[in-house]
Amino acid sequence: MKLNILFGGKAGQGPNFLTNLLGKVLIEKGFYVFYSRDYQSLIRGGHNFNVLTFSNKPVYSNESKMDFLVALDENTLKSHQKELKKHAIILKGKEKNSYFAGRLFKALGLSLKELENGLKKYTRFKENFKLAKEGYEKTKCQIKELKSKKKKLIFQNGNQGISESAIKSGLDVYYAYPMTPATSVLTELAEKQEKGKFLVLELENEMAIINASIGSAITGAKTMLGTSGGGFDLMAEGLSLTGMAEVPLVIYLSQRPGPGTGVATYTSQGDLNIARHSGHGEFNRVVLAPGDPRESEELTNQCFYFSQKYKIPAIVLGDKHLAESFYSSEQKPKMVPILKSTKFARYNSYEQNSEGSSIEEPELIIKNAKKRLEIQKQISKESKKFSQYSVYGKKNSKNMIISWGSTKGAIIDAIEDLNCGFLQIKYIDPFPDIEKLLKNKKIILVENNVTGLLGNLIREKTGIKIDNKNKILRYDARPFLCDELNMEIKRRLK
Amino acid sequence: MNISTKSPITWCPGCFNFQILAGFKKFIENEIAKGRKKTDFAIVSGIGCHAKIFDYVSLNGINSLHGRVLPTCLGIKVGNPNLEVYGFSGDGDAYSEGISHLIHAARYNSNMTYFVHNNQVFALTIGQPTAVTEKDFTDKTTPQGVKQAPLNPIKLMLAAGCGFVARVFADTKHIEWILKEAKKHQGFKFIEVIQPCIVFHLDKGYKEKTYMLNSKNHDKTNFEKAMKKAEEFNYNKVNKIPLGIFYQEKKPVFEDQYKMLKDFKKVKKSWKDIKR
Repeated sequence: MKLNILFGGKAGQGPNFLTNLLGKVLIEKGFYVFYSRDYQSLIRGGHNFNVLTFSNKPVYSNESKMDFLVALDENTLKSHQKELKKHAIILKGKEKNSYFAGRLFKALGLSLKELENGLKKYTRFKENFKLAKEGYEKTKCQIKELKSKKKKLIFQNGNQGISESAIKSGLDVYYAYPMTPATSVLTELAEKQEKGKFLVLELENEMAIINASIGSAITGAKTMLGTSGGGFDLMAEGLSLTGMAEVPLVIYLSQRPGPGTGVATYTSQGDLNIARHSGHGEFNRVVLAPGDPRESEELTNQCFYFSQKYKIPAIVLGDKHLAESFYSSEQKPKMVPILKSTKFARYNSYEQNSEGSSIEEPELIIKNAKKRLEIQKQISKESKKFSQYSVYGKKNSKNMIISWGSTKGAIIDAIEDLNCGFLQIKYIDPFPDIEKLLKNKKIILVENNVTGLLGNLIREKTGIKIDNKNKILRYDARPFLCDELNMEIKRRLK
Repeated sequence: MNISTKSPITWCPGCFNFQILAGFKKFIENEIAKGRKKTDFAIVSGIGCHAKIFDYVSLNGINSLHGRVLPTCLGIKVGNPNLEVYGFSGDGDAYSEGISHLIHAARYNSNMTYFVHNNQVFALTIGQPTAVTEKDFTDKTTPQGVKQAPLNPIKLMLAAGCGFVARVFADTKHIEWILKEAKKHQGFKFIEVIQPCIVFHLDKGYKEKTYMLNSKNHDKTNFEKAMKKAEEFNYNKVNKIPLGIFYQEKKPVFEDQYKMLKDFKKVKKSWKDIKR
């Protein structure tokens, strides 16, 4: 059993509330839940929708056809008519959110008690539950009882995973200038700062953000900042400074479509190369790309580990789809302890001598460059201790899908019945040794961008050229849907 | 204690930066002689001639980027509010590349001292006009002359709400004096240093036209009077140049607004001492 429910309405009408409420209740019943958010760059009005997919088997993505449509306005019905399955159930009306919640729960055969418990987690419970009960009682149940074995599931989105990890990794100061889709890390951490005894600061612009981060980091504070592509571009000079001065800093780069302002509230994997190369000069960095919230926790933690140990910038490379979609997971993340070892001393953006003062002598310049190279080797060696990639599906199949980041969920769901394996790259820099895994395989590349950036990176690192016909690239700023992706992959299999 | 480094000084012979360096070193060495630790201080510089001061003073800190001295200083204060932070910028640094940070620094009011070595020219890149270069100034990049009037940073800082606005001349005694005054004030201390460049922006009799503001000729607690005094020198034509403290007002300090930082000040600790 697998059901897809679309919640649509105007911004401010609250499809998020309904989706989140239902998601949490289903999780408690033991269902695996995934939901993604599609919203426009506006405050009130427009058309926003969420798609929630749930099943009694693990699920990490949405499908293209809906079993249920929750329409809070006329436009939702019009816009999504074509996505409805033949016998899809439609709930529409102009009632208040909580009233709708009641209708929805009844239609799905959920109990009033479950509705009550669900609503207790939100503000204005009494008022909400009264309305919800009314809605519940005026609706007919539309489907058979939903059953699943109870289990302990963690339900969170990518940004919650990143925030959680920063706290567990011993965050002292978080700096950010608001930018979608990184902003919810800022709000999440801001909310928890007093209890967690860390500090969250917003400053005047991204140049201030990265340079203040550098200032704090060199005093020994565990420092992190968050931004998206445009903001990250503004930080490039500061990033380069961290490379020269050897400053430990964790940077969360949450991708959205570019170039320019791009499509501000949608998703893309177009910033692989700026994560790898941004900043002038040659310097060390780590770039890690999580594929779900659990990996967001693990890899943010590893970014703290590498940055503190080797005094380098470490970038967590995520995207909007991962940042704001909710996933269910049975496994707890594996975390490593992180030491604080930075001492306030003399740092320099110029090449420097042992006193920390600027120099221009060729011998010293070579010495410094060699030291940086040596650190790079150590990082590369140590990275092998961690899970740099994962292989899913039929590992011995002749067909191998390869991808990175938030496409993971849709790929895992899409290949369930297919004869192929899936290689997910988590370490972008240092790049793992994957040649053996790809030997004699038909490689199919799946990416949420225009030119297949990981494909280019694989060619750079291994010499392997992926046939253009075998690149499945989605660049309409929307995430992959598993049934559509399944068809795309099927057409390319041996 | 001598706080010099081993680095040879590469400013032009006779450069006014020597005066600023000597005044700063004297002040810090004196503080250390009085019982302060060398590690109590932090120094941050931008990029340009002024920034070489970092190489000649062996205090902890960072020789950072062009224009980014102030956010770096703020980051250090957030990292450890017990550090006594001194920022150094040039006019290109403070008024061109990093002007947004300057305005916000006045608003944040973090407890730090900020010097702008104003020689009204980009000197280290050999003589281009900055935001405070006078009209009609020519160089190879601007052969037809600067068309815009210069900015008045003193007025700008007053308007931005800065609680300590001062100007001195690049003279060892001036530097020492203003550092002593700054020490008494809690908050962001903006100090412009008139530092004529002896190669690209010669002293046009500046020093002769300076006079000191004092309690007889100025009320530094009066904002309107401070604005009037700031207008006496518009960086374009030189009639007279008032020096000293234009304006001083006690305002809430950045570090005292955040519980964690306030507590660090109380117990003389910082993030590095926190075990989680």
